[in-house]
Amino acid sequence: MADRMKNNKISIFYKLQIFLAFAAVAAVLLPVFLNDSHWPVFARDYLEANGEEQTGAANIVSSIYLGYRAYDTLGETIVLLVAVSGTIGIISFTGKNLATGYNEDDFEGGNRKNRKRTVLMEVVTGKLGPVILIFGLYVMLFGHMSPGGGFQGGVVIASGIIFISLGTGGSENNILSHSGVLAKIEAVSFLLLVLASAIGLITGIGFFANPFNGNPIPPVGYIILLNAMIGLKVGAGIAYMSVAMLGDTDL
Amino acid sequence: MQNILIHSAEFVFAPVLLPLLGAAIVFCAKAFSRGRIAKTIEYTGAAIGLLLPWLMLFIILPNLLGGSVYEGTIGGWDKNLGILYKFDGLAWLVNFLGFSVAMAAWFYSLGAGPRGPKFTAIFLIQTAALSATIMTADLFNLFVCLEVLGISSYVLVCSSEKPGAFLASFSYLMVSAAAMIFFLVGIYGLYRLTGKLSYEGIAEALAAMDNGGGITALISLALIIAAVALRVAVMPLYGWLPDAHAMAPHAVSAVLSGVLIKTPLFALSRILIIFPAGSDAGQLMGVSGGLTALIAVIIALSQKDVKKLLAYHSVSQIGYIVCAWGAALHIGVETPAGLVLMTAAFLHALYHALFKGTLFLTVGTLIDRAGNRSVYELRRGAGILKKSGEKIPVTFISFMLAAMAIAAIPPLNGYVSKNALSYALKGRWEYVVLTLASVGTVASFIKLSLIFFPPGKNHNAIAFLENPQKVHPAMKAAELFLAILCLAGGLFSPYISKIAGSLLNQSGTVGINSIPPDLYSGGNLQKTLIITLSGAAVYLLCSTKQGKAVLKRIRERPRSFSGLFTSFALGLAGMAAWLIYRTFN
Repeated sequence: MADRMKNNKISIFYKLQIFLAFAAVAAVLLPVFLNDSHWPVFARDYLEANGEEQTGAANIVSSIYLGYRAYDTLGETIVLLVAVSGTIGIISFTGKNLATGYNEDDFEGGNRKNRKRTVLMEVVTGKLGPVILIFGLYVMLFGHMSPGGGFQGGVVIASGIIFISLGTGGSENNILSHSGVLAKIEAVSFLLLVLASAIGLITGIGFFANPFNGNPIPPVGYIILLNAMIGLKVGAGIAYMSVAMLGDTDL
Repeated sequence: MQNILIHSAEFVFAPVLLPLLGAAIVFCAKAFSRGRIAKTIEYTGAAIGLLLPWLMLFIILPNLLGGSVYEGTIGGWDKNLGILYKFDGLAWLVNFLGFSVAMAAWFYSLGAGPRGPKFTAIFLIQTAALSATIMTADLFNLFVCLEVLGISSYVLVCSSEKPGAFLASFSYLMVSAAAMIFFLVGIYGLYRLTGKLSYEGIAEALAAMDNGGGITALISLALIIAAVALRVAVMPLYGWLPDAHAMAPHAVSAVLSGVLIKTPLFALSRILIIFPAGSDAGQLMGVSGGLTALIAVIIALSQKDVKKLLAYHSVSQIGYIVCAWGAALHIGVETPAGLVLMTAAFLHALYHALFKGTLFLTVGTLIDRAGNRSVYELRRGAGILKKSGEKIPVTFISFMLAAMAIAAIPPLNGYVSKNALSYALKGRWEYVVLTLASVGTVASFIKLSLIFFPPGKNHNAIAFLENPQKVHPAMKAAELFLAILCLAGGLFSPYISKIAGSLLNQSGTVGINSIPPDLYSGGNLQKTLIITLSGAAVYLLCSTKQGKAVLKRIRERPRSFSGLFTSFALGLAGMAAWLIYRTFN
């Protein structure tokens, strides 16, 4: 009885808390969103006039995130890298310690890979996998002139790899569904990305400066290079995480 | 030599780029090789990422002391679109602080764990994010840096794989991810008004407007300040810190408490210096810093878990720093008084990093050997360490040095920096609050130090691990390194303060020294004696029956996740209301 009364008390306090929090947030945020001043046009006009000329990318979005603000993109790539790494850590920890505690007998010795698989799924994913992989590569490599880019292409590549690993039905005959191979691709592409950002430091034109000036490689080459590296890293990283979730315990 | 000086502009990216390169190398080592070769590559990567940047800092030091500042746009783009960076004295100092503690902490982790390439790689990424945070001059880039800093610390906190660590890391993640959304709204608000992202660009565009941006600009600034203040853990926003810092592996705790909560603070000062409303914001932050120092020390005194006690002391000590930092911004860092305050704030930040790092490492060593982390149960720590093979009691000596430093006993570094703070704040209300907080600190460290000594008569004997693990030499070396720096920081403080003062001094007035000239005068020593004695008295009061009951009540006060968020929302609204009130009145 006493417990219950205590609970009731907490819940009123809780409601009051939540109300206060939302009221405070609303009071602060509304003026920002209701602001009706003129939209700034500087960046829009500048990019329209110079974007393609300076970076060589017809896709202005690419020219921003791999040209003018490539350093931010490096940071976001690292966020993803660390997130994947942390997720893998939690998966392998829970796999080792928690699953046994929760009586997941699958883990004791059963083959988790064969669980919930059907022939239908295997055939469809197995056939679609390579197609998706090629589409992912296209999105990744043509990001400078069409919608897409490294992040988007990378995620598509990851889905291709997941399809392939689902389609091979647990028999590890496809090299792309080995977590070790994926980890290698991820590590190397991250190393290359960091090195690519530093080319300018070695040649003396500055950190993250475009080393290609049309002689012989056009400036857009740098964006394609970065897109490819980011795409491979994102694709391998997310696929690695997903393969781990499918039950590859060899982490 | 000439050649190096010409290209030294490129050196300023070393603290960001080299740890990243090191991390990439370590990831490759993990993916491609096993055993001894992988270890060798991993250590090489760590040396590239931690030692090399630290050495490079000394190459550019003469230039910075000579008054030059490295600034520009990354990639050489138009400054209205590109990312601006600024490597000045402030960036150098914070980098020096960060790399010194990070090096010691990583070295400690070789002995105490968590070992392995993954830990090293993420640790390096966190270090890179620290230096990126302090050298950026672009609002969106600051957001990215804080995200990298945040995500690497969530992963590092839960890498201790203790049951509570996952929950602590998760609550840290949720609170700071929520705060970062508000930060993003703040960026939106300022971009909507000005179309710029660099600090200077925004400030110029706002100054050109009739009303200086009006309410939108003030609220956006408040959003940014609140999100950063959450990372710094000042008063209403500190709730996530104790669990995260207490549950993390010891090496990570040292970096989190020593470096991670200060870097965003000094990065924020870059913004507040150039915004007109920054002075008012500094004033409010200073007030909350003073209150933080006192309230957190009371909570710390009530703690049972040794690492939680240390974590609450980090909140309290960051309160000291924020108090002086805020006062400096309020007065204006270009004035001599403001500069003295800012130098004192940095000095305390640096010294706190050293002694709190030592404390976390030494106490961590002991609790791992003893298998017990309760400050009421654990006793005879020095004996336990001796049993685990420490012939020379390095851990014990390091602990005592650091504990005396945080309690401001001369001639250790804490005595110097706390006196510098008192000197700079003399005659203000904060002076009284910080003095009271110092009394609490002494009391609390008397309580903590008991874990190393034999139990008293009425103490119940507690069973300990039969065969405590050996203390790895790397651990002892790291502890000793930081403890010696604590001592050196106290002995050589006039030089250190001079260097810090001239690095922070951008306007060129010479001869700023934040160390009080009468540092070892009779009056100051007498004051220290009084504080120490009252601290002992407070400790005795706390160990009475009534005192223990009060502390228990404080320790078991209700804490919840929704409470964390509510205090964030109210703190944010308070900051916004304060800025609007000050600007329009």
